[in-house]
Amino acid sequence: MAAAPRIIVIGGGLAGLSSVIKIAEAGGTVDLFSIVPVKRSHSVCAQGGINAAKDLKGEGDTVLKHFDDTIYGGDFLANQTPVKNMTAQGPAIIDLLDRMGVPFNRTPEGLLDFRRFGGTLYQRTAFAGATTGQQLLYALDEQVRRHESEGKVTKYEGWEFLSAVLDSNGICRGICAMDLRSMEVRTFAADAVILCTGGIGAIFGKSTNSVVCTGSAQSALYQQGAYYANGEFIQVHPTAIPGEDKLRLMSESARGEGGRVWVPRDKNDKRVAKTIPEAERFYFLEEWYPKYGNLVPRDIATRAIHRVVYELGMGIDGQPMVYLDLTHIDRATLNRKLEGILEIYEKFVGDDPREVPMKIFPGMHYTMGGLWVDFEQQTNIPGVFAAGEADYSIHGANRLGANSLLSCIYGGFVAGPKAMQYAKALPAQSGDGGHAAEIARQKQINQGLLTSSGTENPFRIWRELGETMTRHATIIRYNAGLAEADAKIVELLDRARNINLSDKSQWANTSFAFARQLFNMLHLARVVVQGAAVRDESRGAHYKPDFPDRNDEKFLKTTKVSFVDGAPKIEFEEVDTSFIEPRPRTYAATA
Amino acid sequence: MGTATLEVPVTQKTATSARRIKVEIRRQASPDAKATTETFEIPYRPNMNITSLLGEIALNPVDVSGRETTPVTYDSNCLEEICGSCAMLIDGKAMMACSALVDRLLGDKPDKTITLAPLSKFPVVRDLAVDRSVLFENLKAVKAWVPIDGSYDLGAGPRQQPQIQEQRYPLSNCISCTICMEVCPQFNDATGFVGAATIAQAKLFNMDPAGSVLKEERLRALAGDGGIQECGFAQNCVQACPKQLPLTEAISDMGRDVFVQQVKDFFTR
Amino acid sequence: MAASAPPAPPSTTRRRGVQPLRAAEGHSYLWRRLHSLSGIVPIGAFLIEHILSNFETWNGPVAYGKQVLFLNSLPLVRILEWVFIFIPLAFHAGYGVYIWLRGRSNVNVYPWAGNWGYYAQRITGLIAFAYIIQHVWRQRFTGVDLPHNPGMAFHKVQVELHNPWMLAIYVIAMIATCWHFAYGIWLFAAKWGITPGDRARKRFGYICAVVGTGLCIMGLASIYAVVWKYPNAPVNALPDQHSSLTLPASTSLATS
Repeated sequence: MAAAPRIIVIGGGLAGLSSVIKIAEAGGTVDLFSIVPVKRSHSVCAQGGINAAKDLKGEGDTVLKHFDDTIYGGDFLANQTPVKNMTAQGPAIIDLLDRMGVPFNRTPEGLLDFRRFGGTLYQRTAFAGATTGQQLLYALDEQVRRHESEGKVTKYEGWEFLSAVLDSNGICRGICAMDLRSMEVRTFAADAVILCTGGIGAIFGKSTNSVVCTGSAQSALYQQGAYYANGEFIQVHPTAIPGEDKLRLMSESARGEGGRVWVPRDKNDKRVAKTIPEAERFYFLEEWYPKYGNLVPRDIATRAIHRVVYELGMGIDGQPMVYLDLTHIDRATLNRKLEGILEIYEKFVGDDPREVPMKIFPGMHYTMGGLWVDFEQQTNIPGVFAAGEADYSIHGANRLGANSLLSCIYGGFVAGPKAMQYAKALPAQSGDGGHAAEIARQKQINQGLLTSSGTENPFRIWRELGETMTRHATIIRYNAGLAEADAKIVELLDRARNINLSDKSQWANTSFAFARQLFNMLHLARVVVQGAAVRDESRGAHYKPDFPDRNDEKFLKTTKVSFVDGAPKIEFEEVDTSFIEPRPRTYAATA
Repeated sequence: MGTATLEVPVTQKTATSARRIKVEIRRQASPDAKATTETFEIPYRPNMNITSLLGEIALNPVDVSGRETTPVTYDSNCLEEICGSCAMLIDGKAMMACSALVDRLLGDKPDKTITLAPLSKFPVVRDLAVDRSVLFENLKAVKAWVPIDGSYDLGAGPRQQPQIQEQRYPLSNCISCTICMEVCPQFNDATGFVGAATIAQAKLFNMDPAGSVLKEERLRALAGDGGIQECGFAQNCVQACPKQLPLTEAISDMGRDVFVQQVKDFFTR
Repeated sequence: MAASAPPAPPSTTRRRGVQPLRAAEGHSYLWRRLHSLSGIVPIGAFLIEHILSNFETWNGPVAYGKQVLFLNSLPLVRILEWVFIFIPLAFHAGYGVYIWLRGRSNVNVYPWAGNWGYYAQRITGLIAFAYIIQHVWRQRFTGVDLPHNPGMAFHKVQVELHNPWMLAIYVIAMIATCWHFAYGIWLFAAKWGITPGDRARKRFGYICAVVGTGLCIMGLASIYAVVWKYPNAPVNALPDQHSSLTLPASTSLATS
């Protein structure tokens, strides 16, 4: 080996940064690309905590129970080998984060404190107040900054990934990216590429995701031949704060610390929440799911709220909202464990949740699906790896709370070393490795957009996309609605070709960059919708009233979608169930 | 809608009043271009924030005189005041655009014009977007990290009293929005002052059991030109910080530690 | 360091805007801390001494003359005067002006208490500086040479304050100087980490306010004494002392 392997990591969230750390440590050279300064990545929004079966509460928790909870919570759709590996690494990952200086909450003895989260009966979630994602991201960001100051990492912040550079054998030789200030398009050579570009919330218009979570990078790669898997599994978080520009998350930790969800028993009850006596409150999660109570998995809680509001018509004041009540917990405890999220509610709604029950409603939150990867986090494009929310590998049909942070770091910790290993064995490229062709293709796309003189505003198309997706492809799905949504997306794709950018300048042109993302969002939206249409069953977050049961015979399979002739082509792959036999998933049992 | 679908409950659908919000935005096409001002009128909806106003302009980039213009460039990401992107001057004051609610800004004067401008202490990239990378350079200069041996499994970290965690956690909530630097009279071209955020981070890592191995280096760094001595203790930082970091306390504590280190160095090095 | 520099950083243009920290470089720390310290000792200490001494005017021209005589009888008084008063004052003032020039006060935008304090510290400093220049020039280096004629001190000041403009300047400067000193002590404690906590700073703030107000009242009382309490003071209150350096019989406070 003459030179150290050169690896490109795209995305500076938890998954991206953890892979960067592994590569830098192993002697590789990293170019880290991120649309926003990495410290502003969406991982900061994660609130509640990170799971690991350290069993510091004397409950007899084990890695295998964490493994089983995760598989069961995901309705057996996840391949079991990577999940088993992840849960086994959990305790070591927590220890590492602790050593990096993450200010995890502590017990009086100075040990890590843990709380309970949804879908488990154990206190397994380590947390730093209610801003755990922020604290974890900062810890990794600091480590990367250290490697950067030592010259092992070069950051390209404010650059957007456009596509992979593939050579004549379809092997990845680098990426094509655009500087979002100068709008310069250029290619960067690399021996391997790791895509850690997070979620796809923007496809649903308003979600709990950040602005950059468009899924554009995943979609671009899918259009270049990568499989996109389980796209139809979209987690709708039961407790979000409805807002004008986004749905702000109200962490599951609010329920983990004792928060209770209820509505007045009498749907015409107009009294102020606090004056309604206990007996006249309908704690529907506790009544329907006595064993797990308010901490049933998210898909269950979301559907329960949906049922209360739309089927029983019991939403507060006839509106689609229910109470999430913390007022029975004392202020000091709330401030110590939940202050960050309570402040968000206070700031954006104006009420103090320590005094007044919060009004919440489900909101699109997370994609379990993502780029298909093998057990070494490699996509079907040689040399392209993926990790974090951008890959599909861990969460099956539904993600358990506080497993996302763990899966990000685990994915990065696998992808980094595997990419190094791959890069060291990579034969030299012939010719220019496809760089010239790729840059020409991208410049042509840009030219087309800049000269397009149609009538459509990209932001308006996006708004329509979001409304369509939220209506047809979230909590409840009907085949007729999904067909309607797909037709609508095709129409929007058509209209997007008739775009007229009001801003044609070549400096920090955000609407231009957005228009490019829009095309990718539209293509990925079809993957979600068509995957949901084909899956005639109900499993985890995917729920069809017309097919209310899980159908393992037909659908205990990973959906794999490829881009063929400009449209999604669906195939299925067997799920690895080598450790735990699938069993019915029911949280209602009182056992 | 019946039982069919998820309908996001947002108040926008109920608001039909013709009330409009006036916004005046300082715009600048590039770092060297001349700044201009454009005025927009946006249909009012309850609970709007500044980022949703800017989103409305992107949907229909036409100013108040009916002239077509371009969508406004600004930094934003999480929209829930945790990523630190969207700091700007709103009615002349530095704040986060996402948590700046229109109703609160207008108060009892619904006809007031809201003004938006980029932060004044940082180079403008375009419109409301500025380059705040100086903060990240400063964090490098004070080695704001824990120099761990490696990311492999070395067992649990050192035990830490909850009291220490309770002091460290608020400092670790810094979102790098740079508002503390923007409002600081001492943070400017002449002083090259490092600003409160970096000083607070130095304290955070000096308090960490493992991070304290670099304590002396951090304290020496902070005594460099532009260091902690430039603080004039106007205390604007702590007033303006959107995350209520105890910044003045951090500056005070670090002021003492830096001094002790300098004295120690003077007599022992 | 140069050998391991990162390859081709993405931005090649020279950094605009505020420069990053020059970690562990330069000497501004030393100068800035000396400035801070010099405001407490010796300048602050001298201010207290000066106001206490001036307060002897309350006991009349003779008492004041004796105090001036006492001070001028200290060993090596001319050296003390330069080392502990003039040079530190000049440095504190000069460096203070430099600090003022490099600040960008924004109290018009952020009218918060601490920010007013920052602004006031600069304004009061400038007032004190301008005042002290004329005060030292007119009272110490021109006119009757007081070190050799301590008995004429009261009269010299009285003549000066006879001019209502001068009187106004003295009153304003007294208030400004006491403010600058009192807030200066508070800033010193805050910046040097003596009062890191909010409550400690608040508590110490009250102490500083008492000190500042006390000094200011004494100073203004001295002005009152010179102008109104003892009008028409003799040109020389100690005619038999002249330039002799014998000590007064007892400390003047005891005799009053």
